[in-house]
Amino acid sequence: MVEAFAVASGKGGTGKTTSTLALGMALADEHDVTVIDADTGMANLLFHTGLDDADVTLHDLLVADRAVDVADAVYERFGMSVVPCGTSLDGFSAADPERLRDVVADLAADTDVLLLDSPAALGSKSAVLPVVLADRVVVVLQPTVPSLSDGLKVQEYARSYGTDTAGVLFNRVQPDEDVDAVADRAARYFGGVTLGTVPESDAVRAARRAGEPLLAHAPADPASDAFHEAAAALDVRPGDAAGVADRFRSAVVPDRP
Amino acid sequence: MVANGHIPEGQLCRSRTDADVGETLAEALDRDLTGYVVFEPQGSILRGGDERAVLTFEAGVPVLAYYAPSDAGGTDAIAALSGGLFHAESYELPAEALADAHRVEALRVPPTAPADRLTDDDALIERTRAAAPDDRLEDGSDASAVAEFLADPDRIDAIRQEARAEAEERAAEWGLTDQLDDG
Repeated sequence: MVEAFAVASGKGGTGKTTSTLALGMALADEHDVTVIDADTGMANLLFHTGLDDADVTLHDLLVADRAVDVADAVYERFGMSVVPCGTSLDGFSAADPERLRDVVADLAADTDVLLLDSPAALGSKSAVLPVVLADRVVVVLQPTVPSLSDGLKVQEYARSYGTDTAGVLFNRVQPDEDVDAVADRAARYFGGVTLGTVPESDAVRAARRAGEPLLAHAPADPASDAFHEAAAALDVRPGDAAGVADRFRSAVVPDRP
Repeated sequence: MVANGHIPEGQLCRSRTDADVGETLAEALDRDLTGYVVFEPQGSILRGGDERAVLTFEAGVPVLAYYAPSDAGGTDAIAALSGGLFHAESYELPAEALADAHRVEALRVPPTAPADRLTDDDALIERTRAAAPDDRLEDGSDASAVAEFLADPDRIDAIRQEARAEAEERAAEWGLTDQLDDG
């Protein structure tokens, strides 16, 4: 039973990694959750989970013929299975983005909810693959014109590949922003539900400094409460794990003559 | 040096091999730097790679960011500077020499974005905000601009159509056409 979500936003700075881990930790109360840093070009999930020194990362799994088992890159942290990605350019250069589908297929066989922390860009195949592979996308937004505009763009990319929007999450909301009004109007253009609105919080920065997800570092912070509510609003749909794994395996395979 | 907006070579005014991004930003602010800083991760040269990222400044305030390896610009490029120490070289240039590059919207960053995303230094963020010209602090977040945007279905439809066309075009480039919903 599995559903894979790509957590995406058109641009950086919306707090996507913080959101991915927060949703993951909140969902882990009820589900078996695996979080993958699919931002292979600018990985940072490892810094949020105290895995800076991880020996084996997603990069190693994306290199052909390397004798590394998928399980070697899975770290049990904060009640979730975490698959970090390395930060070296060498690792990125050696990685074959298409192998992501096999990695995701392997991990899908063993978990309830897969969260793919997706790149804040759409300019390369590796950046787009997470929204191609996912069942649905969670769009992380800020109530600003550039963010809404980029969010619409990433949603349209996802829809092009048949990936619907599970919901939108307004993050890093300033106290003076009337986000409810924005969310109401934005709901006309975005699919799924408004999962929640998360206030800007100093605790996010402190959590990253400590190498912990927000919900572990500051569980009582208002932002943590908001992420819990957002996770509760996400309707995880049961799927057939074997079917999902097969779909990932068959995805993105070029036609053979 | 920067795609779609050439930056001429400036006058080298400072070079450090163990630069922390926050300190470099603070120095640029202290010196009222107009010019650019080239950041290269330590070890990059030894590895024979070109992992340079560029931040430009006007009067000490960041204007654009570009990360060469992934051709990323704007806030996307800032992430390349997270963590670690850098070889940082600061160059001065007259503001007019930067004007062309600074007109490339896709490369521009909000004034406080580098400090906000790369440092834990609230004082630096506040100092940067205070030093930024008023017209640069309007980042589209004011309520009327957002309301106007969301009340304009034609504009939103145009964004969608453009994104859809771009997605399909790139799918063809990347061999993903068969994965398209109608493919």
